[in-house]
Amino acid sequence: MNNNNDTKVRILDIQRMSTEDGPGIRTTVFFKGCSLKCAWCHNPESISFTPSIEWYENRCIGCKRCVEICPKNAVAFSEEGLAFDRDKCALCGKCANQCPAQAIVIKGREMSRQELLHTLLKDKAYYDKSGGGVTFSGGEALMQPNAVFAMINDIKSMGIHVAIDTAGYIPFQIMEKVAELADLILYDLKIMDEAAHIKYTAKSNDLIKKNLLILGDHIRKNKRPVLWIRTPIIPGATDSIQNITAIGEFIHQNLPGLVERWELCSFNNLCKDKYLRLDLSWTYASCGLMTKEQMDELTACAKLVCKEPHIVQWTGSTAIDLKEEC
Amino acid sequence: MDVFYYNISKRIEFLLNYYYKGVERKWSNPFTPFTTGTLWDDVYDETSNYIVPEKYEILDKFRTSLRLSAHPVTLPDDFWSHSLVERRSWFIKEAIVNYMPQEVLPGELIAGARFNMMASRCLNEEEAAARNELIYGPDGVREREIEFHYRGFGNCTTASGHLIPNHQEVIEKGFRHIYEDLEEKYGLLTEAEKNGPKGNQLRAMMNSATMPRELAARYSALCLELSREEKDNERKKELEMMAENLKRVPWEGARNFWEAVQSLWISHMLIMTDENYPGPGISFGRIDQYLYPYWEKSIKNGMTEDFGKEILKCFWIHCNTAYDATIYEGNNQGITSGFGQLLTISGVGKDGQDMSNDLTYVLLDVIDDMSPILEPKPSIRLHRKSPDKLLDKVVDMLSDSQGAPFLINFDERSMAGLLREAKMSNNEHLINLENVYDYASVGCLENTMVGNDRSGTVDNNLYLSKVVELTLCNGGELHTYDNKLSKERYEHELDSPKTGNPEDLKSFEQFYHAFETQMCYIIKKNVELYDALDTIRATYCPTPYLSCLVKGCAEKGLDITQGGAQIKFTTVEGVQFATTVDSLLAVKYLVYDKKICTLSELKEALQNNWEGYEVLRSQAKFRAPKYGRDDDEADALAEKVMALWSNEVWKYKTTKTKVQFRPGMLSWNYWITTGYFMAATPDGRRRGEFFSNAICPVDGADIEGPTANVNSVGKALGGRKKNLGDFEDYINYLPNGASHTMTLSPALMRDKNHKEKFKAFLRGYIENGGTALQINILDVDMLKDAQKHPENYRNLLVRVTGYNAYFASIGKELQDEIIARESHSKL
Repeated sequence: MNNNNDTKVRILDIQRMSTEDGPGIRTTVFFKGCSLKCAWCHNPESISFTPSIEWYENRCIGCKRCVEICPKNAVAFSEEGLAFDRDKCALCGKCANQCPAQAIVIKGREMSRQELLHTLLKDKAYYDKSGGGVTFSGGEALMQPNAVFAMINDIKSMGIHVAIDTAGYIPFQIMEKVAELADLILYDLKIMDEAAHIKYTAKSNDLIKKNLLILGDHIRKNKRPVLWIRTPIIPGATDSIQNITAIGEFIHQNLPGLVERWELCSFNNLCKDKYLRLDLSWTYASCGLMTKEQMDELTACAKLVCKEPHIVQWTGSTAIDLKEEC
Repeated sequence: MDVFYYNISKRIEFLLNYYYKGVERKWSNPFTPFTTGTLWDDVYDETSNYIVPEKYEILDKFRTSLRLSAHPVTLPDDFWSHSLVERRSWFIKEAIVNYMPQEVLPGELIAGARFNMMASRCLNEEEAAARNELIYGPDGVREREIEFHYRGFGNCTTASGHLIPNHQEVIEKGFRHIYEDLEEKYGLLTEAEKNGPKGNQLRAMMNSATMPRELAARYSALCLELSREEKDNERKKELEMMAENLKRVPWEGARNFWEAVQSLWISHMLIMTDENYPGPGISFGRIDQYLYPYWEKSIKNGMTEDFGKEILKCFWIHCNTAYDATIYEGNNQGITSGFGQLLTISGVGKDGQDMSNDLTYVLLDVIDDMSPILEPKPSIRLHRKSPDKLLDKVVDMLSDSQGAPFLINFDERSMAGLLREAKMSNNEHLINLENVYDYASVGCLENTMVGNDRSGTVDNNLYLSKVVELTLCNGGELHTYDNKLSKERYEHELDSPKTGNPEDLKSFEQFYHAFETQMCYIIKKNVELYDALDTIRATYCPTPYLSCLVKGCAEKGLDITQGGAQIKFTTVEGVQFATTVDSLLAVKYLVYDKKICTLSELKEALQNNWEGYEVLRSQAKFRAPKYGRDDDEADALAEKVMALWSNEVWKYKTTKTKVQFRPGMLSWNYWITTGYFMAATPDGRRRGEFFSNAICPVDGADIEGPTANVNSVGKALGGRKKNLGDFEDYINYLPNGASHTMTLSPALMRDKNHKEKFKAFLRGYIENGGTALQINILDVDMLKDAQKHPENYRNLLVRVTGYNAYFASIGKELQDEIIARESHSKL
């Protein structure tokens, strides 16, 4: 265990008054770096452990200070706006630091454990009143395990509830440790078919399944932590009845009575701009939202297969009901 | 779009639809002026209107037209031999009882219709001349007031209303009790006193105390007459009952719920008559507490809950007829929106327990059913022990409504402010732990005690960002200000202290010290102007009827306008707070910490309204720290500024009435209107852009989300400090309260699970937040459509600052602002 208060963590963002990452009102810390590379990823800037750089056109005042200041000549300004030469860019951050309008932003920053803790304690009153707490998410928070373990201890000593949002693609020793420490695990289970999993996430789901079984054993023995399974419903990738059936069966066979909630999270396209800012193309850029009927059908299927209908719910926006997610 | 109501009976549906017909109605309650008929008579009292700068250009028009159209009242021969207060008392009673028509609309259960009166000031020639000199003379208040506002310092007025009368006593014991009490006090006066001002005052008040009896008798007779003509048997019985009720109340104590509400309405509406001002924050206090015994009794005796609600709904509609005074003027931003007849429900009791009762929930149903009507404005008091049942209802109503159907007031922080006020003004015998729980809000959200308190809650509005300007300019200004009426420029130098040229202010500490000095200067300037107004009111504008309803006046034999109330304050509302704090933060960041520019360069940028300084402006706006992000350093400066200005305010009292100044934070529409003519500010705001509203962060600055915004607000008010608190460990620099508006996405309350989270957010607010919260839940598309097709959204209601406004009736700038804010929250 690393007890050094100066331990640094690399995070992407901190979201306060988060109402979607576990019970109650929470502060969610998005860690930088992920062990998977999902094609539909809603936080593409979280995948790489190294920082990334983005330009927000609507904030830019066109002063071109960034162009002048860049020691690598990696910033160019044309009629189409600002462009980074990402091969040349050394991510030194000079342009971002000097940008008067914060139109250039480096995504990914180091924070000390102390500093992070200070921020996480600010909303304690709201956690206490709502049964909320802190959620470590990502990326994959458990790719920085020592820092996360130390933080969990810090936070729990203040009487604050801790949730870990993980995709499960981590060494099993870490999963065992997390099972011991966290109050709630939000566990992503995306695709059951091995080949499809590799196709869409670039990694095998073997380890993910094994870790989930380890977690299940732990819960069976210790009656904790609480486990929520989350399945993103992505058109063409995870939204087949077969996939939901397979996940449901897996839950029924291996984790009966151990899962408090199985959430089907409907695809959203609000991250479209993020891909543009990162100069990345996105397969799902023009993909429509799921319809309510589709989500209801998948939910009904999930309820049937896992044999614990009360644990299944769907969340997120659908095609007709765009306003919901706003 | 036709209005569709749920839970509304035929009776109320008729009255509501009739009310909404507005100017097309045959019946109305317009301003009706009455004159003594003298050549020098004045009907319009502009000195109670100076806090509405939109009226400055129509003051003369109002004054002349009201005087010319006033109906003469025949005066008794000895009229002019009496004191002014007796003349006023006699005149108003005579006009309302014998000249103003009495009317009862079909189906209504509460009588008392025409009250919007403009009564003669009743001055004799000599008094009129002296008063005119004080108002219109070379050093008169009118020109001073106009300069004070258009030069960007503030505005002030001896405002009407804005208090909670002792309704409870009237309902329980009737005006007879008040009359007999006055009679007794008068009897104890010496002959010399009887012939002096005390005697005059008490005689005037005794006469005024009989006004409700005589008016009620008129209405009683009318109801009886109507009942004789009535064919419908049920209605006939109602009218007979009303006639009986009015025979009794408000002269005698009420015996049941119907009588209690009738009594409340007559005694309330006559205050508006007495003050010649419709609905100016005359508030009802804890209505679910003092009406509860009558409710309980009537329900026990067979009154149905539905009928009880109909009585309340009739009362609701009557409150709205206050607006008839201005519907013919057309709507404009702020002027006609929000008269602030506030009622308070729920809240903590003496022992720390929650005081909600059956009537609390009945009232919530009525609020829900009558929504979106403008008056009365409900304020729901929350505290640590507020039950889940109440919060469930609150959150359901928020999520179902367009705009916030009520204000939420927070007891712990509010009581801390009132206990602080007791300490600061040596009023601990009147406000203490034994009674502070019985406070209530008036007007928009201003906290006061009840029945013995006039706190002048909107009297003074100070434009705090002026202090930044004076500091940057060594006591001067960034640009020359204009008198918008005469178009003359204010070229003459200010009498402000010289606090150093920009080059001389070498450190932020020096800059801040200069800022402190200039802060003291503008507060003093405000106090001097208010003092002149206060003297005019105390000398020429008695309100003997209102004085009957506020404890202290009878005891002292002093009119409430002369400082008769037991608890007497005038409140200075700090306007542009966050802009001011952010400006200091920007100066510190740009000039002293990062040395991005010199103070002279910054001043030059502001003189050019940031034109040609786009990079510096962006740095000020986007890189400098801001209040509202739960940033401890920024919020510490916010608290420092709060302590500075509020402590300075406590140093003053008025000369004539010895009324103590106290601080609050409410910006009405000034944060919008002053944005057009006040200089650019160091936080990146250009001239022409709005300022921050009340205690809210600058729009868009609160990028860390709602909890951070709330935490900053709580910290700016003093936060919570062990062993230093005013109530437990809560500190509150602003006894009057602080208006906090948040626009939240409907998604936050979209299902049961999220509603639970939102309830917890409100409970968190109790711990960390301010005194008063208004929540807007808006939808951008709906607002944009409403802007294009106002005719389809007659009822679309939004809350701005402390008042409700129909979206379709407010100005385009404000509409754009609401849309922009809502769009922002959805990004």
